[in-house]
Amino acid sequence: MRRSFKEALASGEFLVTAEVVPQKGIDAGTLTPIIKDLNDVVDALSVPDNPRALMSMSACAISRLILENGGDAIMHVSCRDRNRIALQSDLLGAAFLGIRNILCINGDHVRFGDHIDAMPVYDLDSVQLLETVRSLTQGRDMAGQQLVGIPDFCVGTAANPEADPLPPQLLKFEKKVQFGIDFVQTHPVFNIDNLVPFVNQAREKGVKLIAGVRLLMAEEASSYKDGSYPGLFIPEDLLAEIEGIKVEKSVEIAAQLIKAMREKKLCDGVHISAPGYEPKIMDIIKAAGI
Amino acid sequence: MIVLEQKKFQEIEKMTTGYNRLLVLGCETCAAMSFAGGQRQVAELASAIRVARKTTGEQGEVLEEAIARQCEPEFVDLIKDEVSGCDAVLSLACGAGVQMLAERFQDKVVLPGCNTTFLGVTEELGVWSERCAGCGNCILDKTAGLCPIARCSKQLLNGPCGGSMNGKCEISKDVDCVWQLIIDRLTRLNRLEMLEEIFPVKDWSPAGHGGPRKMVREDLKS
Ligand code: SF4
Ligand code: SF4
Repeated sequence: MRRSFKEALASGEFLVTAEVVPQKGIDAGTLTPIIKDLNDVVDALSVPDNPRALMSMSACAISRLILENGGDAIMHVSCRDRNRIALQSDLLGAAFLGIRNILCINGDHVRFGDHIDAMPVYDLDSVQLLETVRSLTQGRDMAGQQLVGIPDFCVGTAANPEADPLPPQLLKFEKKVQFGIDFVQTHPVFNIDNLVPFVNQAREKGVKLIAGVRLLMAEEASSYKDGSYPGLFIPEDLLAEIEGIKVEKSVEIAAQLIKAMREKKLCDGVHISAPGYEPKIMDIIKAAGI
Repeated sequence: MIVLEQKKFQEIEKMTTGYNRLLVLGCETCAAMSFAGGQRQVAELASAIRVARKTTGEQGEVLEEAIARQCEPEFVDLIKDEVSGCDAVLSLACGAGVQMLAERFQDKVVLPGCNTTFLGVTEELGVWSERCAGCGNCILDKTAGLCPIARCSKQLLNGPCGGSMNGKCEISKDVDCVWQLIIDRLTRLNRLEMLEEIFPVKDWSPAGHGGPRKMVREDLKS
């Protein structure tokens, strides 16, 4: 049997995770072969929860599909769409279905999505969600009531090393660490030196840092610039560089970033995303030599 | 103050059609400060309705009045006679004012002429912005006097999200990230260590999620 993501984290080896975005609808016919291919080469597949507030099938269902196809899944749990009752209920359901890794996040605001008239929830924030998860894994719900059957999660959170100013993000990370997180998956990073303060803090706290690497596509350049991708901060020179480039070049840029991060030991692994271009993730992995 | 904006004229025209004797009733407090329902806006709106009625041929009289506050029974009761003589009241107060009229004048049609938007401040003439969401348990002592519940797009209590950039909120370059404002102000006050404290989950029941709110002060009751 292949090792779990938690075992991979403990191995000390350089980790690779990749993102698979659930489809809009119940036909996973396109996603399944991608999942099968990637399962062979990554330590886990990370499944976003209605990313950018674009309504899609639940991360829980796709996480389960990943498990059924022999891989391990990291299910994202966003505070945007559910109150504390629904969050806890879905976490228990996920654990029941065998999902062992979760990534606790606030979630992008609904205004970026395809249901901009929706009411965002944010009953809890990501720090409070981590506290909730800890409570569940200790056998109690938020109301202090005992659980019948206790879930066990490998817990992660997100951070943005490219944020400006950075100190508030570090401070928030410090808060999150107090709830016993196992890993942090960063937003996509382009100025890799920006990882330094985060990785230092993570190592000091015994948390593994998985750096985000995103395939940048020339045709999406204008959306990167106009703020349509919250938390994605791409330097001007890189934006200029990707203008008009072919996808092969995009793959090379992503692969170079991975190589550089690895060489400089700026992270414990990488998380590769290529929303809409998932088959290219395999090419990035090959080109990066991991 | 409660910030209001007057509804679009077409909507007002449509909802008031058929009520021959129409009383346009202003409120001289928040509605007036919002330039949406004070005496002056009452006069302007009433004459616009008269002009529109002339064009469509609709009969009837459009009356004008403004009281100090539509949210208090003693002021509302002052216009009892005027209200009884009309077919409908178009209130230019906030939602509380409209409902107070509906409660005091049980048999009268009461229509809202304004949209009630938020609890906020006048930044400058013609610019208002939100400051409070009436959460029922004020935390401004912990956030440098700036409210993340009303002013953070995600109501985050434990610091900025990953989308905060150069002091602006991820939702728009025109919106300040209140967490950045909180951090800046705490820095000025030399109290940055306050940010290290973990904010517990919020009890939303005093915020109205425990059902409609009511406050009774026995010491003030007669
Ligand atoms: S903390 Fe609550 S009461 Fe205080 S300003 Fe914010 S919303 Fe209003
Ligand atoms: S950018 Fe700032 S104000 Fe906007 S949602 Fe994030 S923390 Fe809240």
